[in-house]
Amino acid sequence: MRMKQRYILVQIHPYGVAPDQREVYFAVAEAVTSLWGDVAAGLAQPAVVFCGGGYAVVRCRRGTEKDIATALTTITTVADERVALRTVATSGTIRALRRRMQSIQPLPEAGEVTIEGHQFMVHRYPRQKVDLVEKGIMHQKSLFFTETDLEER
Amino acid sequence: MMATDANVCPYPAGDSTLARMALEAAELGFDSIVTIGGEGSQSCEIEVLRGIVISAPSQKEIIRQVRKPAARNADVIFVNAGDIPFNRAAVSIREVHVIRNIHAARKNAFDHVAARSAAERGTAVDISLLPIIQYRGIRRQRALQQYADLLTLKRRYDFPLTISSGARSILEQRSVREAQSLCALFGMTGTEVREAFSSVGRIIEPEHPVRVVG
Repeated sequence: MRMKQRYILVQIHPYGVAPDQREVYFAVAEAVTSLWGDVAAGLAQPAVVFCGGGYAVVRCRRGTEKDIATALTTITTVADERVALRTVATSGTIRALRRRMQSIQPLPEAGEVTIEGHQFMVHRYPRQKVDLVEKGIMHQKSLFFTETDLEER
Repeated sequence: MMATDANVCPYPAGDSTLARMALEAAELGFDSIVTIGGEGSQSCEIEVLRGIVISAPSQKEIIRQVRKPAARNADVIFVNAGDIPFNRAAVSIREVHVIRNIHAARKNAFDHVAARSAAERGTAVDISLLPIIQYRGIRRQRALQQYADLLTLKRRYDFPLTISSGARSILEQRSVREAQSLCALFGMTGTEVREAFSSVGRIIEPEHPVRVVG
């Protein structure tokens, strides 16, 4: 018998991080199992049905969406990358959630800055937000500033 | 102050500046935050209160530290919880506003005697969301158990609670709604969460009876 589903839209922070759908699923499954146990995780059947543009859509059985949303707040890393998944909306259809997705693109003015001897790439976002990503190949440090903080340095 | 995140640690302790954390907190539904340390811009979207954490081995040491200028200039004074006698003594010090790190203390370290004193003096106990979010397994179970015990005492003696994210990064900050769902894990109701979020304002500016002058 086909069971009713619910879809949870989450925004992936920081902006610019694009994790793989499979990796997001592993993080969701770990968080749900760790918080609610195998039985609840098995009954809720969480799955990641979409991941892209800074958003992910998590599917679960109807009636378990609150528990799954709680578990999503305990996710701190996806594939060794620090992230936060912020619940935006819950709906019975993916179509309704797609209308809530507003892609946040970096502003064109990029640049470089040196802080405490480390070189950072500057990514500017709306509302004066500035994300600094350390230059390097892997395990780069990220700093989260505002335009004013950057000007003060 | 309707919703205050009672503890964030901005740059240089963390990776996000005070202004950025304040910006994110505003988007997450808070109207004020308490910052421990931090530097940078003072012009923030929401009210920013300065907090100080006192980690002391004895009551004498707390009294010595609350008299220092750094503590006098702070809006909120936190004391890290310790063993039973320490917590009983700490809640009775007038200058102390909040007892924090209760999840790291021994089981029943905050007992009914400390709860009664806290209720009489209006000293709050902080519930940090950090162990619920970051920890896994037995450590998280212990924290949830401690918070459930604390909630039982709160319901009996009615001392104030505060809720904090303990965030060192914008990635560790959580919204008011997310905090409600996390607090529901140990039985806190929505009304209790809202009351806890607004209690920082009441702690720093306690209500006194109106005095007619002249």
